This record gives sequence, structure tokens and C-alpha cells, in this order.
Amino acid sequence: MGFVRAGVFSMVGLVALSFASFTLIALMPADPVEIAIRAWNLPATEETVAALRADWGLDRPLVQRYLHWLADFVTGDWGRSFRTGEPVFAEFRARLPVSLVLGLSGLLLAIALAVPLGFLAAARPGGFADRGSRALSVFVQAVPGFWLGLILLWVIGVQFRWIRPFANDAAAFVLPILLIALHSVAVFCRVYRRDMAETARRPYFRTALAKGLSHRQALWRHAHRSAFYALLSAVRSEAGWVIGSTATMEILFNLPGLSQFLVQSIAVRDQMVLQAYVMVIALWLLVMNALVHLALRLLDPRLA
Amino acid sequence: MSSKILSRLAAAWLAAIAIGGTGPASAAEPLHVGATYITSGLDPAKGSNGWALVSHGVGENLFTVDKDGRLVPALAEKAERTGDLTWTVTLKPDRSFSDGSPVTAAALAAGFDHTFATNKAALATGGRLTFEAADDLTLKITTEKPVAFLQALFAEWPLIAYTLADDGSAVFTGPYRIADFKADTALALEPNAHFAGAQTRSPVEFRRFGDAQSMTLALESGELDLAFGLPSEVVGRLKANPDLTIKSFPVGYQYLAFLNTTRPALADVKVRQALDLAFDRRELAAAINGGEPATGAYAAYFPFAGKEPRPTDIAKAEALLDEAGWTKDAAGIRRKDGAPLRLLAITYPQRPDLVTMLPVVKSQFAKIGIALDTQVIENIQEAASTGNFDIALWAQHTAPNGDPAFFLNSMLRTGAALNYAKYASPEFDAILDRFASEGDADRRAAIALDAQAKLFVDAPASFLVSPVWYVGLSKRLQNYEPWGSDYYVLRADIGEAR
Repeated sequence: MGFVRAGVFSMVGLVALSFASFTLIALMPADPVEIAIRAWNLPATEETVAALRADWGLDRPLVQRYLHWLADFVTGDWGRSFRTGEPVFAEFRARLPVSLVLGLSGLLLAIALAVPLGFLAAARPGGFADRGSRALSVFVQAVPGFWLGLILLWVIGVQFRWIRPFANDAAAFVLPILLIALHSVAVFCRVYRRDMAETARRPYFRTALAKGLSHRQALWRHAHRSAFYALLSAVRSEAGWVIGSTATMEILFNLPGLSQFLVQSIAVRDQMVLQAYVMVIALWLLVMNALVHLALRLLDPRLA
Repeated sequence: MSSKILSRLAAAWLAAIAIGGTGPASAAEPLHVGATYITSGLDPAKGSNGWALVSHGVGENLFTVDKDGRLVPALAEKAERTGDLTWTVTLKPDRSFSDGSPVTAAALAAGFDHTFATNKAALATGGRLTFEAADDLTLKITTEKPVAFLQALFAEWPLIAYTLADDGSAVFTGPYRIADFKADTALALEPNAHFAGAQTRSPVEFRRFGDAQSMTLALESGELDLAFGLPSEVVGRLKANPDLTIKSFPVGYQYLAFLNTTRPALADVKVRQALDLAFDRRELAAAINGGEPATGAYAAYFPFAGKEPRPTDIAKAEALLDEAGWTKDAAGIRRKDGAPLRLLAITYPQRPDLVTMLPVVKSQFAKIGIALDTQVIENIQEAASTGNFDIALWAQHTAPNGDPAFFLNSMLRTGAALNYAKYASPEFDAILDRFASEGDADRRAAIALDAQAKLFVDAPASFLVSPVWYVGLSKRLQNYEPWGSDYYVLRADIGEAR
């Protein structure tokens, strides 16, 4: 029942968001027809303007345009890009997998690395892992990902040639995924470590130690689950950050994801592309939220 | 237990990424080419796609410019004037489009009709042209305005030759054909089987880099055979790399600054003249590590170029600003009626040299008390068209067809489609009108010099640097000879080692 209710709320939220974003984009001061006329050197005759408006549906009332767009969107017709003339759905279908691979892999790698690092940090407060994870946290907050990416490209890709960062294969994904993960590792690690430290102050933890478990055994058996729960909660907020980071990495590593397409589309107020992007991001956040919620239920059945 | 499941799922996902590729390798190893630009679409009549598609080796013109800057026939054999407004163009026999169909006058007429109907830039020299196929190889052309030199008109970048397929898509004649196109990202090219020497050409993977430093690193890491338009500051480092060949070449491009004549401060010609004198061109050339101070609208090797570098004279610039009422306050800032002289300069990342020049210009203007806000804009054509700028740093090939008229007609004539400075001068237009009836090259050069002299006085544009560009080459393409600026990057013969 909870799932049904959440699903209904999500759908209502998506529809509200789609209407708000459609209205905002449509009401932006720049007129896509004027932009197209300038960018494409079209003759600015009344016939040209009228033909473009009719072709792009801009001659109809806003609400009618929105309802038409919504009906098309849910059936897989996401309109045509004003800029390229190509179907938006086809452009997204070709590019979205690259962006998703980057985002999801970055998040999963971050989780995979944050757990052992956070555990070691909690097991020995003030030790190497603890100080290292704290330094990493400060470092990734202070250093722009784009700059760090350039440095890693030069060192790993050019000087040592350990990987081929611009190869047309999976190797091209290694560095960007690593860079996306790096920021999240720092966040997740500190969240995980802090929760473990709190658990270690609880009476039941001291009881576990009194029963003869070593500190590390007690942490793993009695603090890990709660800390992992806290870490997964942090994934929700980090999922939004990962989107921005993915865009930076796509441009830096020249990966054919959504970002370069989006940057050019923003410049010409390509409404269909911008609208589709808003919906894709909303869906990404919803899906990530749902996945995290499911994972949390697995960890703590009391939520069910 | 549950966390174990999650961990295993994560590991499986990462393993899938590591094992899986993004696509099968091509049968023939393609050449990898990188640049900071790519065609924005496959409709050759839209925007500057015509230029880009010729640059990518996909399309051709009826006439073109060879590596010595001479205007030579390409798809056409000759053009003959038959009347004040009429011409006959004879096509070369035995040429084919990339779909195998023959190049005929009627097929080309369909493409040109589409271009003239949809691209204002095509109208710059001769107005609207009409086409009639007299026979398979004879194209009768009527111009709206007299054109003294039709060969040059058909070497202009908007006039790429193509025909339209049944589905409305364009079919070209160049040495490569498009196998796949990802907007803003990549272009897969394969040899056009209907162009001579197809068997000697490898397929090409053309990639657009959003950042020139990334492109440099891709070249250094061995992922590119040709990196076109390297940032000048990396050239020294790259030349020390034994696996790479770095070549420089003078280009027909000019780095210039459009001065928006409709903005309040720049509407005063004295202010524009002051800015023109405040540019230290030698310092700008040094900043981009390549090039010479501009002598005018054209690269110095053209016969119609100015003879002396444009001057820098700070004292005279300051005097002009004083005369215009912009006087310095105690802090050294120029003000008029209490308002500071604060200008907006824009440029675009696709020409990294211009981005390098921007802060240098800012410091030069600060010396005469002008504050400069700067912006680097992805879509410069759109931004320039709106007119929301004072100064637009621009790179423009000013004689792509080997003739001086096109640039002046298309970018500085009153009301021209690409007249971003919004310059309007009947005297200047009258000088340009003389091109229409003059076919002699020497006398056309004299007209161009007159036009430049007028521009130096009115200063709707400041000509800054005649640049040198750099290409980086792998061993496979070490025989590549760059020429023709970025108009002919991929050509029938690009010197591939075999």
C-alpha cells in the first residue's frame, strides 16, 4: 500500500514538475524562432517566422502545447530539437547510457570504497585511515573536479600511460568514474565513520566488548549495519551532485553523453531538449530515491 | 546479509563496465582527428554548416582555393559571363555524388535553390541567384546584382554544392561520406567510394573536444592522429615529444574585434578610434605565441592586404577619449556625466587564442582608464546577433575564396546578415559597390584597400593579429600539410603513411 501511495505521489510530483518547467522554459525571454533565424541565417520574413512557429507548435496556447507535449512524452515522442532537427528521444537514447554509466558507476564505486575506508577510520580514530579520509574530504571539497581531472589525465594517461583516457572503449570510463567516485567517497566515508563512532559509545556496544569481541569485531557485527544505513541515506543527496559532476567529466573526457548536447541546447533555448532533460533528471532522482528506500528496507525490516 | 547482496550487485555492475566495450572496432583502423569545432548539423544550408562540411571533407564547392591561395575549379570546369546578370557554368564530366548518382546541373540547382531560400549569408555578394539546367553539364545562372567574378562567389563558404535526396537530406560529393553523426560530439566518416582514390583513404573518426587542453592531452596520450588548432602555450612541450610532429602554418584568418556601433559609448567614432589605438597588437601576438600584428582586414600574404601594421598610440587614444568627453577621475577611471566607461567584451572557447587574448585586452584598456567586463560564450553567433556586447573578439577567414569582397559584403556592409558591429555607412557601401563591376584582380585589390582605409577611419572593427596556427600529428599522419586555415582540414590527400 505504501508503495502504491509513493508511486501516486511521485507521478503527481512529476506532472507538477513537468508543467512548472514547461511554463518556465516557454516563458523565458529568448524566443527560439528569433534565435533560429539568427543562428541559421534564415530570412526573417513573416512567412519564415510563421512557418517555424507552426512547425514547432509555438502558435498554440501554452496549456494546449503542454497537454500535447505531455501526451507525446509518455508515448515516447519527445519532440524534435529546434537546433538539430533530430528527434529528442533518439538523441537521449543514444547519449543517456553514457551518462547513466558514469553516474551509477561513480556512486557504486564510491560506496564500495567508502565502507572499508570508513571502517578503518572508525576502528582507529586518529589513525592513518581516519586522518587520510579527513584530508581526502577537505581535498575534494577544495579542488575543482575539472582541474583534478586534467592533472590525472596528464599523469596517468600521458606520462605513465597506464590507461587510455580517450580510447573509444571502456578504458575511457575509468578515470571519469574514479573522479566522480572520489568526491562521494569522501562524503560517504565520513558519514559511515561518524555513525560507527556514535554506535561505539552506546551501552550495547560496550556489552559486546565485555563479551570478548575485539573492537573491530564489535564494530563490524554491531555498528556496520547502522553505519551502512546512514551511508545509504547520504546517497540520496549525493545522487543530485553526481549529475553535475557527470556533466563536467563528459566535457573533460570528451564522452558522448548528454552534457555537451545540453550545453549547446541551453545556448539556443532548445525547449524540447531542456524539457526532456528536466524530466530525465527528475526520474533519475526518483529512481535513486526508490532504490535507496528499497535498500534501507532490506537493512531495516522495521521500515516495512 | 543484505549488505552483502548490495556489495555483490555493485561488484557485478563495475565488472560489466570494465568488460563491456562501447562498440565494435572498425574493420579498417580509422584515423582519429580532433578539433574544437564540428558541424552543428547535416543541413548544409543552416548557419555555417556549409563551411564545416567542406572542412570535414564531406562537401565541395564549384570553385575552391588551392594551397597557394589561388582560385581554382573544383566541381566546375569554367564559368563564363553571358550578360550583365547572367553566367554559364560548365561542370566537370564524370563526377558523382556519394550515393553514386551523377553530378548534373539539375541536381546541383536543387541544392543551390535550397541554400538561397534558407541562408541569408548566401546572398551577400550577388543577391538571390536563380538556376536553370541547360543540359546535364551546363548550369545557367542569373544573379540579382551584377557579379564581376562568379568563380569567387561560388568558392564562398555558404555555397557548398549538393543535391537533395527524396527524403530531403543532402547528398554531397567530397572525398568522405558521413557514416554516423552525433551532434556536438563526433562524426564518423568513410571514404566516398565514388570519389577518385577512395581505396587509398582510411575511415576517419572526427571528434569535437569541448576543451582544447583535453584535446592536447588526447594527442599526447596517443589517441589522436591529428589535433587541429592546438593552444599555442602547449606547443613547446609537444615539440619535445618524439612521437609527435607539430606544424605551424599562417592562416587566412584574422583575429579582430567588432566594436558595436549601436552601444551608447561606442556610437561615438572617437571612442572607437581610441579603442583601435589602444590595442597593443604586438603584445597580443606574443600572448598567443604565434602570429604578427595585423595590417588590416586580410592576412599579409594577400595582395589586397594593408602594408603597415596597425598602429598603437596610447597618448592619441587618451586624447580622443578626452575629446569625446570621457575624462579620467582621481582613480584613473574615465567618466562622462558621472558614469564610468565600462565595456563588455565577449569571445568564444572554440578559438582558444581569443580566450587567451581577452585578459590582455582588459589590461591594455585599463591603462587608458576603461574598465572591461569579459565573458566567454559558447554560442557566439547567437550572442553577437543579439547585440548585447561592446566588443566581440572574433576569428574570421577574411578571404576564403581568394577574393576580398565576400568578407566586406557579408560582415560590414550596411544591413548585412553578419554585420555584428551594426556598421552603417553609405560611403563604405559605395566603395563595395565597385566590386560588382570590376573583374580585374589588381583593381579589385585597390578597391579592397580603399575599403580598408575607410574602416580604419570609422573603426567598426579593429584588426588585431594575423595568427599562426598549430596542428599536432601522430607518426601515421606526419606528412599531413596544413593549409587553407580550417576550410580544408580533411581533403582527398592528407598524407597518410602506409
